[in-house]
Amino acid sequence: MPIAAADETRSLPTTYLICAAAWALPGAGHLWLGRRQKGLIFLIALPLMFACGLWLEGRLFPFELTQPLVALAAFADVGVGVPYFVAAATGRGGGRAVAATFEYGNAFLIVAGLLNMLVVLDAFDVAQGRK
Amino acid sequence: MSSHLAAMVVFAVFVSVVFAALMRDEPREQLRFGLRLFGGLVAGGILAGWLLYPLPF
Repeated sequence: MPIAAADETRSLPTTYLICAAAWALPGAGHLWLGRRQKGLIFLIALPLMFACGLWLEGRLFPFELTQPLVALAAFADVGVGVPYFVAAATGRGGGRAVAATFEYGNAFLIVAGLLNMLVVLDAFDVAQGRK
Repeated sequence: MSSHLAAMVVFAVFVSVVFAALMRDEPREQLRFGLRLFGGLVAGGILAGWLLYPLPF
């Protein structure tokens, strides 16, 4: 049986707070909204995907506005939230361009961030009672 | 994980799991959708690899 649409609509400030939590910690928004199964899946899968990207020697791209594609990749990287800042603070994500897995690592890092952005949008819809 | 195929399969697993959880609500539907998506991603990746194989660059 499908999960019924949310029977209560959160106020807009609360919704934005939920979205901020969902961005900072993947799955936190869904856990907040009582979608425990989905929240746990996101909480495990997205940081793990991001960690795989680091393990595959991917690079956390810098915000270089003179290079639009690099800036876009950096924006996508940040999408995963706290794991990005932890990795950056601990000096990971330097990337090794000669590694065979370098491009795979980049793909893992970027897609983990982009998927978390979709998760944030989903949390927004649930909070607004649309799903 | 130096195998390109293994990296692609692991990537497909993560993407399938997240999209299945996002787009379906019931666990059974999530499993079915996730498996189909995973199969499509892996098969598509292998097919694209073979189609690109003859290219000289």
